[in-house]
Amino acid sequence: MIQITYQRGKCIGCNYCIELAPDRWRMNKKDGRSLLLGAKNKKGFYTVKVNDTEYEANKASAKVCPMKIIHINKLNK
Amino acid sequence: MKNRTIEIMAPAGSWQSLQAAIQGGANSIYFGIEQLNMRAKSSNNFTLKDLVEIAEFCNKNNIKTYITLNTIIYDHDLILMKKIVDTAKQTGITAIIASDQAVISYAASINMEVHISTQTNITNIEAIRFFAKFAEVVILSRELSLLQIKEIIKEIEKQQIKGPSGNLVQIEIFAHGALCMAVSGKCYMSLHTANSSANRGACIQNCRKTYTVIDKEDGHQFDIDNEYIISPKDLCTIGFLDQVLDSGINILKIEGRGRSPEYVKTTTQSYREAADAYLEGTYNKEKVKGWINKLESVYNRGFWDGYYLGQKLGEWTGIHGSKATKQKIYLGKAKNYFAKIQVAEFDLETEHLKEGDNIIITGRTTGIIETVAGEIRLNDKQVESVRKGDNFSMRLDQIVRPNDKLYKIVNIK
Repeated sequence: MIQITYQRGKCIGCNYCIELAPDRWRMNKKDGRSLLLGAKNKKGFYTVKVNDTEYEANKASAKVCPMKIIHINKLNK
Repeated sequence: MKNRTIEIMAPAGSWQSLQAAIQGGANSIYFGIEQLNMRAKSSNNFTLKDLVEIAEFCNKNNIKTYITLNTIIYDHDLILMKKIVDTAKQTGITAIIASDQAVISYAASINMEVHISTQTNITNIEAIRFFAKFAEVVILSRELSLLQIKEIIKEIEKQQIKGPSGNLVQIEIFAHGALCMAVSGKCYMSLHTANSSANRGACIQNCRKTYTVIDKEDGHQFDIDNEYIISPKDLCTIGFLDQVLDSGINILKIEGRGRSPEYVKTTTQSYREAADAYLEGTYNKEKVKGWINKLESVYNRGFWDGYYLGQKLGEWTGIHGSKATKQKIYLGKAKNYFAKIQVAEFDLETEHLKEGDNIIITGRTTGIIETVAGEIRLNDKQVESVRKGDNFSMRLDQIVRPNDKLYKIVNIK
C-alpha cells in the first residue's frame, strides 16, 4: 500500500497531477483546484491509502507539482 | 497643473501591506484573490471571504481597489473566475486587472470595470483601441520607452479613444519594483525547468540564480563571476519622475505583492512625495537623493531605469537577493496597549532591545509603525535595555494591538 497526502488549500490548479495520474485525480470545476479521489480531509491535508500499482503515476504527479503539495509514502505491510 | 491628480497604486499582499499602503499615501491598492493571480505562489493571497472587508475598509478610506485576475485561464478556472468577478462587483471593488480574454469579456459583460494587465503586452495605439471596448485603463508593456508612451497618450487624446464609461482610456505604467528578464509574461523558464508556470503565478525565478557555462566540446566549466547574468536590477523611476509625468501618465504602479509592509510604505510614500512635488513644482535633484536613500533602505536588487529612457538594454544585478541597506530583526509580540498613559506592553521572544533603537511594529489593523524605542520599563523600573524572555513596557504614542509584531531595524554592514 501507499499513502498519498495532498495539501489542497495551496493548489493553483495547473492540472499536472490529473495529466499524470488521471485515475486518482480530478479537477473540481467549482473552485479550480484538484481533487484527490477517495481522500479524507483532516485540517486541510487530504490523505488516501491506495494499491502499490498506483505508485508510479502518483509519484510522477508529486514530482511535477509546482507547489510541492503532493507526498507519497510507501506503507509497511 | 491644478486639476491634475497622480494616482499612486500600491501592492497589497497582506492586510499589513494594505494598511502600510494607505499609511504611505496610496490612492489605490491591488491584490490577488485565491489562486488566479500572478503571485499565487509567493504571496498570502486573500480569499473570496476577505473581499467584503477589503472593499468596505478601502471604500471608507477613499482608496480604489483592484483585483489582479491576470493569469492564463483554463476551462476549469471559469467558474471560480466568474465567482471572483461577481463577488467583486457585489462588494464594490473598483476594477479587475485582467489579461485573458475570458476574464476581460466576462467582467465587461456585467459592467465591472476592467484594466488591461501588463501581461497582455500592449505596445501600440491599435491594441489600445481594441481593448477600449472593454477597459477604462490599459497598463502598458514595461518594455516601452517614454517617447513611445508619450506618443500613445497623445494619440488617445487626438483620436478620442474612450472606454465603456465614455471617458478617455487611461494609461498606467510600472514606476518601481522588480522587472522580468523576459518580456513580461512571456517567460517559460520556470515552466520548463520545474513545471511551475510563471503565467499561473508560480514563477520559481530561475533568472535570479547564478549559472555555470559549460564548453560542450571539452567539458570545461566556467562560473560567471559577480554577475547574475539574467537577473535584472529593479526598476526605479523616481530619479526621472518629472519626465515620466511629463509624458502624460497619471497612474503609477509600484510592484511588490510579495514584499514586506515596510517596503510598501517606504516606496509608496517616496513616490507620493515625488508626484506631489512634481505637481507643486518643487521636484528637484536634492529631493531625489533623499528619496533614493529611503528606497535603498528596503528590499532592492540595485536600481536601473528600466526601458523608459531607451538607452541601455538590460542591467543585470551582481547580487542574489536584496541590496537593502537596512534589515529588520524580529523581537517579539505586543501584549497590550494602555491608551490613557500611552504605554505598550511587549514580550521579547528573542534578541535584545534598548532605548533609542529604531523599531517597527506591524499588524493586521495597525499596518506599520516606524518609530524609535522610547522609555523602557521592566518590572516597573526604568531600564536601559531588555533581553530575550523579558516582558516589558515602553512609551508609545501610537496604538498597537495584541499579537502585533515588533522588529528592530539595523544597518547591514
